[in-house]
Amino acid sequence: MRSLTIAVNAGVEGTALKTAAQEWGSSHGVRIEVVELPYANLFEKVQLDLTSRTGAYDVIMMDDPWFPLMAANGNLAPLPREPDSDFIANCLQVCKNGATYFALPYVGNAQLFFYRGDLFSKYGLAPPQAWDDVLHAAKTIGAKEKMFGYVMRAAPGNAVVADFMPLLWAFGGDVVSTDGAAAACDSAAGVEALRFMLELGKYSPPGYAGFNADEVSAHLLESTAAMSINWPAWIAAMDDPAKSKVVGKIEFTTMPAEREKGVGELGAWLVAVPSASKHTSDAFDFVFWATDAAQMKQAALRGNPPTRRSVFESPDLVAKFRAFPTQLRSLDSSRPRPRTAKWNEIENAFGIYLSKANAGAMDPAEAMRRAAQAIDEILKRTP
Amino acid sequence: MKTRVPAGFAWVAPSIAVLLALSIYPLIFAVKVALTDASGAATFANFARLAHDRVFATAAVQTVLFTAAALAVEFALGLALALLVDSLARARSLFRAAILVPMLLPPVVAAVAWRLIYNPQFGVLNGTLRRMGLNTAALTWTDGDSSALLSVILVDVWEWTPFIFLLLSAGLQAIPQEPLEAARIDGASGWQSFRDITLPLLKPAIVLALLLRAMDLVRIFDQIFILTQGGPGTATETVSLYIYRTAFRFSNFGYAAAMSFVLLVATVMFSRSLMKAMKTR
Amino acid sequence: MKTTVRYFASIVAALAALAPVYWLITISLKREVDQFAYPPRWIAFHATLQHYAEAFGGGSFAIYFLNSVALAGMSTLAALLIGVPAAYGLARFEWPRRWDQRVGDWILSTRMLPPIVTIVPLFLMLRGVGLINTLAGLAIVYTGFNLPFVVWMMRGFFDEVPREMEEAAMLDGDSRAGALLRIVLPLVKPGLAATAVFCLVFAWNEFLFALILTQTEAAMTLPVGIASRVTQYEIQWGAMSAAGVVAMLPVLVFASAAQKYLVRGLSLGAVKG
Repeated sequence: MRSLTIAVNAGVEGTALKTAAQEWGSSHGVRIEVVELPYANLFEKVQLDLTSRTGAYDVIMMDDPWFPLMAANGNLAPLPREPDSDFIANCLQVCKNGATYFALPYVGNAQLFFYRGDLFSKYGLAPPQAWDDVLHAAKTIGAKEKMFGYVMRAAPGNAVVADFMPLLWAFGGDVVSTDGAAAACDSAAGVEALRFMLELGKYSPPGYAGFNADEVSAHLLESTAAMSINWPAWIAAMDDPAKSKVVGKIEFTTMPAEREKGVGELGAWLVAVPSASKHTSDAFDFVFWATDAAQMKQAALRGNPPTRRSVFESPDLVAKFRAFPTQLRSLDSSRPRPRTAKWNEIENAFGIYLSKANAGAMDPAEAMRRAAQAIDEILKRTP
Repeated sequence: MKTRVPAGFAWVAPSIAVLLALSIYPLIFAVKVALTDASGAATFANFARLAHDRVFATAAVQTVLFTAAALAVEFALGLALALLVDSLARARSLFRAAILVPMLLPPVVAAVAWRLIYNPQFGVLNGTLRRMGLNTAALTWTDGDSSALLSVILVDVWEWTPFIFLLLSAGLQAIPQEPLEAARIDGASGWQSFRDITLPLLKPAIVLALLLRAMDLVRIFDQIFILTQGGPGTATETVSLYIYRTAFRFSNFGYAAAMSFVLLVATVMFSRSLMKAMKTR
Repeated sequence: MKTTVRYFASIVAALAALAPVYWLITISLKREVDQFAYPPRWIAFHATLQHYAEAFGGGSFAIYFLNSVALAGMSTLAALLIGVPAAYGLARFEWPRRWDQRVGDWILSTRMLPPIVTIVPLFLMLRGVGLINTLAGLAIVYTGFNLPFVVWMMRGFFDEVPREMEEAAMLDGDSRAGALLRIVLPLVKPGLAATAVFCLVFAWNEFLFALILTQTEAAMTLPVGIASRVTQYEIQWGAMSAAGVVAMLPVLVFASAAQKYLVRGLSLGAVKG
């Protein structure tokens, strides 16, 4: 019996691929086994399988920052044919190592800015274009309403780094230099961005320095906070009467600017085939099938953010998902996290200091200095 | 009946072979990996890095803190419980059975149960405290930077105090009653006879319990992995977890092997003292 | 301390020990909306078996459960088959210069290796022979863990059986192995049972090796399955707690069966009582 083993993220991002796999499997007579793992453990198991070439998984899902590490050493099988141009360019960019494609984008996640349209109208505030607007709105709404003007996640690690990147970029800073050889977060722009984050923190619920994605969304859904950075995956919940107290009241826009244009962080999930897989032919068949326009549309109807322009622009989907045009704009202007095989370690170190600063345990300038030191150490080390 | 050694050896040989293959060879292999760099050349770099690694130092300190705190509380509670249950006239085995339950669970299950309990929004701990009128906004248990380690220690105390309780109970039962009777007749107070008679006779069991527990605490992994994965940040990262992270998240097997070696040396020191203590009885 | 105070304190201790377990059981039986309800309901709630049905009825947990059962059985059997003769060999034969003590100590010391030390080499070794992600591979590793324990435990039991027992049989023409099987083993049956229980419990509860050495349903065990439900954003409480309850039942049953030998087994040194 032909079989395929698929490793997916245990969570909303993995559900669509899981369903698609089971559908494809039953129509092609292939037995599908889905291994669902939480984020960190998915990374560990997939990476171990790739580097030790055990061939346990035939199709893997990966968060785009993992790509540089996982594509190294020929651990992924190159795509048998080039992806077509309907895919959104920014999503395809992160699937390339050199000139070869090793993955296809499946979940088109780019950060959006969520805000309470109704409250903004109430206080005569225009949709936020710059972070200064955000701060002003947070002060205004926080003072007049019984709620927090802003909410963000600052738990150490992926949480705080993901929420900080748009601010860092908007102020003109970056984590590492353009050649990727040295840390750059301790620049004046970087420190300023962190100070701004702490300023916003004053209008956020206490304890936000330990928040993850579900706390942020909970505050929005419960109407106890008015704005936040968030992922498109949460849009469905905002408009779901079973979960939300603010149905129809949340608006979405692209990331606010400051010194630089507003840029949302790209957080696409890719699908790839390990080179040690014993079923590469079936695996690629499935991967190309799942990412074709018709299937992407199906997945979109199930709540998965697509990665194809035609799907985003399809009239019946736009009618159903009011945020699609904004999501597409955000994807087109999105920026991936620094492409380095050491991103995992860097994010880990960076996240610790960012979180400490937000918890009030460290001065922002000091936090950035120590973070830059740690990142430099990581970059200098030969693997 | 005397038999030549070879015959006896034949019975033991398979076990020795299996253990050489599954314990000793991997150990040698691990040392080799620790002394090799990415390109395959021999190097002390991994051990050199260990000397300056602040993260490792933090993990080591946290492991020591964890071990000391958990051990102290488990010992105090375990001793108190052993004395308490031993002094009951009835239903002793019933109480004992109940108290032993936490220790018998798979550690993963115990950790899962406590993770549910500790959840700041929905967990029953904060729920019950809130019900009693307390403001639980600051009680983040395993999610909070400063409270995480304490929360994890609490889980270990709940899970393994029964272990010390069991060993000390058995020790108490082995103590002959006559000296205690005599002391009572002589007018000694409860505290005096405890200090002068019970405690010295209990010492072997105490030493055994402490050493065994300490050895397990130093290499703790399962519960912390489930409860916090070493987080938030590195607040609950013990040496085992740092080794795990280095090997499987940062894919640096050489450095992980070097750290494992250091952990092994620490454990060997414990086990040596344990063996000696077991013999002097 | 007054008797009533002592009984009260004992009851508090027993409750403290059992409450979290009880809570886990209630979570596994509650509907999702009740799991998060405030105030927490300890006794009166609407019970449902849906989580057990979801997790085990056609779900992966049924497979993890069977894997765990098979693994525990295989590794215990192998450890006994190899370890019992070794224990007998150490207990019964004359060894020069107390080699039996040294060999016994060496065997015991391997038990004290922290698992994290050998995990990567073992992974590479198993991969080399194609046994990664197989029950057989994991069983071999578990046998390695259980073996020292079996040798140590059974040696103590063999020491308690007088040599005259099998000497009489051998004088009558029986072989040593035959005497072991027919005379001595029946006498140490309780010890064998207790040792087997400890091995089963160890294999059942083990986590780290199963986590690293398994990759798919072919070999994943119950503890690994439970851990994989602890996700980043939402924790699947229902499935996790149902699996947790099922995971703890066999252990509690076995432990009560072997309670007479709990102290001995746990202490690695007979606390003569």
